[in-house]
Amino acid sequence: MSQTFHIPGQPITAYVQRIEIKKLREGSNLILGFSIGGGIDQDPGQNPFSEDKTDKGIYVTRVTPGGPAEDAGLIMGDKIMQVNGWDMTMVTHDQARKKLTKKSEDVVRLLVTRKSLEDAVRKSM
Amino acid sequence: MDKTASAAEPSSPRGGRDHVDRTSLTNDENRYFPRILFYLRHLLSPSDTVLREEPCSVAAPVDILSYSQREWRGNTPKSVLIRKGYEAVAREFEGLRRVRGDNYCALRATLFQLLAQSHRLPTWMQNCDIKMWPSELKGPEKDLIGQWRFPFGGGRAAVEQMTHYLHLLKKRWEEVVHAADAEARESACQQVFRGQEEEYGLLEALKFLMLRTAAGLHAAMERGEDVPEFCCLLFARDSSRCPRSLFTNHLRLVGVSGGLEQVEMFLLGYSLQQTIRVYRLYKSDSEEFVTLYPNDHARTWPTITLLTEDDRHYNVPVSSCTSGPSQYGTSTYL
Repeated sequence: MSQTFHIPGQPITAYVQRIEIKKLREGSNLILGFSIGGGIDQDPGQNPFSEDKTDKGIYVTRVTPGGPAEDAGLIMGDKIMQVNGWDMTMVTHDQARKKLTKKSEDVVRLLVTRKSLEDAVRKSM
Repeated sequence: MDKTASAAEPSSPRGGRDHVDRTSLTNDENRYFPRILFYLRHLLSPSDTVLREEPCSVAAPVDILSYSQREWRGNTPKSVLIRKGYEAVAREFEGLRRVRGDNYCALRATLFQLLAQSHRLPTWMQNCDIKMWPSELKGPEKDLIGQWRFPFGGGRAAVEQMTHYLHLLKKRWEEVVHAADAEARESACQQVFRGQEEEYGLLEALKFLMLRTAAGLHAAMERGEDVPEFCCLLFARDSSRCPRSLFTNHLRLVGVSGGLEQVEMFLLGYSLQQTIRVYRLYKSDSEEFVTLYPNDHARTWPTITLLTEDDRHYNVPVSSCTSGPSQYGTSTYL
């Protein structure tokens, strides 16, 4: 289930999506089916998805086909703003990983931004 | 990847381009060759103000799925088939490293995987003094080593050079096996794959190992002993009825004007005592999607995995690791 809405006052260059991922149990692991890059302890210059090359946010670098994240509508290049209400714009790579992989939670609710609808449509093809 | 410089750029991710045959150029032409390439690149990509050097023969890892989606856009049956193949590969591997696409590419990809993945030296390397092998070549193949040509030339006799490269192969293999950590190992690999004399010398050493193995297998066939199935195919070709013609018509030309044929991939695996497992993407719909070269020692020999879209150009898949360096910096799979 996801909601798309425009951020008031902002030019329509970013869409915000709510994404709810139901983790998949694989043996003793709970997997989400996507990879993250970025973090305040990482080099932001290597991020191909950010507009601003000083952006140290957490980005989705890969989405496994047929996995829980893809099913939930997550797309490569999405920037993760929040996880279950926790801010992700100023966290280290490892802090982000921990927030997403709590063993006690089998659902994570993400707030992501996506560059443009065009990008989103193109990437999902 | 600089598509506009494709005429002069020797590496290609798709199909493999023919290696420019520098052995046929005169000395003068050979000297000006790099300069001509420089100007060609400049002419063909005017937006580059700095010539981008690609000193490494094996590129850094890129994400397999994004690579596949970028390279094989569109909906032709071929694109769909290849993308489907990459999706299957992506269940096992996260990254892909492009290998310089000249006629050495199958050997190069294999050597890279050996050095990047081996946990130990193979027994044949541990138990024998392989430095003696070039001079020990017996029988009808004895004089072939004298005919060997190395891409970087050099004044020394062929036997001497081959001895040197076999020794170097063992040395590098030992270095990587005993590397302190993944970073040290990667660094040792990068030392080899710089497109210089060492890399090509080691690739020629692999060819020597193939010749030596073929000679042994052929002799066994003549004695009526049991040999692996591929030997019959190898020596059934009109152009390679015996090790001598295998060398003259095939092995000698690998890297120069041709690559390895499939039956020669079996010989390569057999010579190294490794199972070379290849994802053949243009066969994603068939039983031959994953082919083992050879397939009779899958349980006993170490396995190294390669990727090919067309059985001509080979790339290298990188093991799925939950966290590691990627083209985006550290990337963690959740």
